[in-house]
Amino acid sequence: MARYAMVTDLRKCVGCQACTVACNSEWEVPTGFARTHVHATGVAGVFPDLVSSFYVAQCNHCDHPACTKACPTGATYQAENGIVHIDRNLCIGCGYCLEACPYGARYISPTIKKADKCDFCSPRLERGQEPACVLTCTAHAKFFGNLEDPKSEVFNMVYEQGARRLETPEVAIGPNVYYLGKKENVDLVLATFPPHRPRLLAPGEIWRGYLKPFILAAVGATFLGQAVAFFHQLKVGEEEFEK
Amino acid sequence: MSPKLTRRDFIRSSSLLGAVTTLGTAPAQSAEHPPGWRGTTRVETIATNCEMCFWRCGVLAEVAHGKVLKLEGNPSHPLTKGRLCAKGNAGPKLLYDPDRLKYPMLRVGERGEGKFKQVSWDQALDFLAGRLTEFKQKYGPESVAFFPHGVASAFFHTLMRAYGTHNIAEPAFAQCRGPREVGYALTFGQGLGSPEPVDLEESKLIVLIGTHIGENIFTSQVTAFADGLSRGAKLIVVDPRFSTAAAKADWWLPIRPGTDTALLLAWMHVLITEESYDKEYISRYAQGFPELAAHVKEFTPEWAETITELPAAKIRATARAMAAAKPAVALHPGRHTTWYGDDTQRARAMAILTALLGSWGQKGGIFLPTAIKTGEFRTPAFPAPKRERADGAGTRFPLASEEQGVTNGLVDATVSGKPYPIKAWIVYGQNVLESIPQRPHTLEAIRKLDLMVVVDVLPMEQTYYADLVLPEATYLERYDMPQIALSAKQPYIAIRQPSVEPLYESKPGWWITLQMAHRLGLEAYFPWKTPEEHLATLVQPLGVNIDTLLTRGAVAFPGRPYIAERLPEDGPLFPTQSGKIELYSPLLKQLGFDPLPRYAPVGEPPVGYFRLLYGRAPVHSFARSQNNAWLDALMDENVAWINEDAARDLRLAEGQQVVLENQDGAKSLPIRVSITKGIRRDCLYMVHGFGHESRRLKLAYHRGASDAGLMTRVKVDPIMGGTGMRVNFVKVVKL
Repeated sequence: MARYAMVTDLRKCVGCQACTVACNSEWEVPTGFARTHVHATGVAGVFPDLVSSFYVAQCNHCDHPACTKACPTGATYQAENGIVHIDRNLCIGCGYCLEACPYGARYISPTIKKADKCDFCSPRLERGQEPACVLTCTAHAKFFGNLEDPKSEVFNMVYEQGARRLETPEVAIGPNVYYLGKKENVDLVLATFPPHRPRLLAPGEIWRGYLKPFILAAVGATFLGQAVAFFHQLKVGEEEFEK
Repeated sequence: MSPKLTRRDFIRSSSLLGAVTTLGTAPAQSAEHPPGWRGTTRVETIATNCEMCFWRCGVLAEVAHGKVLKLEGNPSHPLTKGRLCAKGNAGPKLLYDPDRLKYPMLRVGERGEGKFKQVSWDQALDFLAGRLTEFKQKYGPESVAFFPHGVASAFFHTLMRAYGTHNIAEPAFAQCRGPREVGYALTFGQGLGSPEPVDLEESKLIVLIGTHIGENIFTSQVTAFADGLSRGAKLIVVDPRFSTAAAKADWWLPIRPGTDTALLLAWMHVLITEESYDKEYISRYAQGFPELAAHVKEFTPEWAETITELPAAKIRATARAMAAAKPAVALHPGRHTTWYGDDTQRARAMAILTALLGSWGQKGGIFLPTAIKTGEFRTPAFPAPKRERADGAGTRFPLASEEQGVTNGLVDATVSGKPYPIKAWIVYGQNVLESIPQRPHTLEAIRKLDLMVVVDVLPMEQTYYADLVLPEATYLERYDMPQIALSAKQPYIAIRQPSVEPLYESKPGWWITLQMAHRLGLEAYFPWKTPEEHLATLVQPLGVNIDTLLTRGAVAFPGRPYIAERLPEDGPLFPTQSGKIELYSPLLKQLGFDPLPRYAPVGEPPVGYFRLLYGRAPVHSFARSQNNAWLDALMDENVAWINEDAARDLRLAEGQQVVLENQDGAKSLPIRVSITKGIRRDCLYMVHGFGHESRRLKLAYHRGASDAGLMTRVKVDPIMGGTGMRVNFVKVVKL
């Protein structure tokens, strides 16, 4: 089984936004929105001992995603390989997932009125291509692969070189986007762009909590009804045929 | 499409089968997302190269129904290997920019008013041919000046030479790389060319002097830089500003602007007095060492500290780091090097330091070009112009390139009418009001012209002053002269071919050129009828299958980048007069210049003024890309970087709009203040290319401020004519 992860090497990243535009182009993201975006921390320290870094934001495909729990319709779900997807047929554009995501990785598309975000370029993966951001990265700073494959670059970066997750004691939901860099740089990124506590988690869960028995009942009833109809038809049909 | 199988099901099943886990080794086939398809659309892939800047990265254009859907980096391109910057990725937004020049236009209003009438190509070209014939008869062909830029202008270049003028100048020389090319050629016998042959990925120590890799994005150079760092290279960044590169540096030296040569001399002093330079390399390859040693004797780090405001200890430490890493020291020669008017001498100092470290022609330093033999066309010799060049290349500026010319020399000649009147300008692929400083001077020159012709893709400000505007097809719609890159470790040939038909009535440059050649009776200089024929002749001796080239976009050849690998056919190692590295330059001496570089003060900003510094942002190219919707979304204006202490003294708030006024009273458009610790308090920095004045650029018009508009003063390099542009001072005027 695969566990997909992305590593951004902050020692290499120059904040050039090639990833942003490649992603926008690949996924026809409406101008002004982004599935991935590069932010600058600004400059810290005392002249001339300064420090600054870039932060490449995107969906983290967390081990324990807050968005899937917040989604009232089940449109947001996690595949077994860890990739969090949005089923556009089920999404109603309510925006609960935006509030839930600690990393601000989602937006509501003004064109389709539904939530959208990075899916690690799943269709490209299926074609055997790298994610668009990884291929285009001018600084060769983005790496994608399977964390369960000890031979992968990302395995080495996470388990040997100590690439870090952007987590705080308050918000630790197992993001699968990792950052490699000097401690001072990753610390600065985390201090400047800390994950926020998932908001509006409760309404979605409560709503779904309430709805769940009804949905189950509805599904059960449908199944039962179909079974009844089936047997009925079997019986009636045979009778009709005999007539 | 297989019905009933939802994406969700598919991803589950494919991951269960382990299909995607083989990523990168064997392409997985997918029913829902097969190769060659984008969603439900079958796409064709065209290999070509980019022109959002002039690095020309390899791209694959995905095309369906005559439309470019996406540009992606071309993984088979030998230099850029699939990587493409934000600008390159945003190429479709240039192609589909609604503000593009759409048809040929003749001026009907006053110059600058921007009133035109649409004409047909026949009318436009007949008009131009008529005027050019008239100028040739009345004033001689030298009265027509040509301002090209970039590879696309190659055919037009031939046309102008065939017509009989040698008054051709592009900003790539006198506003950009000129001082560096001349300084290194004086020392090593050859310049560097583009792409720069800096062996960043193999380096143990990278030294950047004012070079802002990371903000200046040339894709493969950024890749090599970042890969070099991750392989353990140390980094020294000399910059008054805490640049993206400075933030990665082991040593950031926030130097006082204009004092780089003092630092370079002190570094040489340390290497020589501590005898840590590459003695064997110098004794084998160089001449003039005793003169150099005597010259730098007095330039101690303590002397340099008083000038550069960098601690002597840090100067020593960085010199020792270089000595320890030699010869694998990549001292980047810079690219835009026209700063203070003594730039050739600063480039000389950098070249000499490179020699002391033994890095020229060595792994991890500067590598050597390898020539490849391309096909030649049987054409008549160009007519010899009867009069000297008007731009002063070879005369007023003795070491200026006659190939690239001196733009400002042509502007001067147009204004003064000396050595003879210039009657017409043809501008191709550049925006003279942004690329050449001293805009009022340029406008004065334009007023004196009988004819100004602009060939461009977008309605840049200069089109307002044109008598004739010719709309060129974008790089995605045309064939261009292929790139023959010799200064890559593996030399390569890379093509540009159209991905789609030209939109509107725009036409490719090669077509315009052939049409003009026909009208002027100069067909003999163009012995080919189609781009395919041109390409076939060009690649004939290379033994390249033309279909392979058209499919892959680029083909590389074996290179011999290091001294140890050179063959006799590569020619002399150091093609100087002496055949050796000239630490001491007899040629400069003979021409009356310093044979060894020395530091000269460049003047300080008056009280209340900052030195104006400028540079690039990673998402924009020169003044060309500000109207691109995707790039505009990422950066729609530039800001003025001001030191936090200076901002406090001026009571400025973050994001406040101000106007910048220079020493001559030139004022900028309003610009926001960005208050930062990351710049010295004696300078102000802004990204070049904003503050467009053309109303027809609907996104870019009046967004941000133009640094070029604040460059009313230049200091001209007497050796090669380059315009030093960092000699302007600005004060902040609150609104």
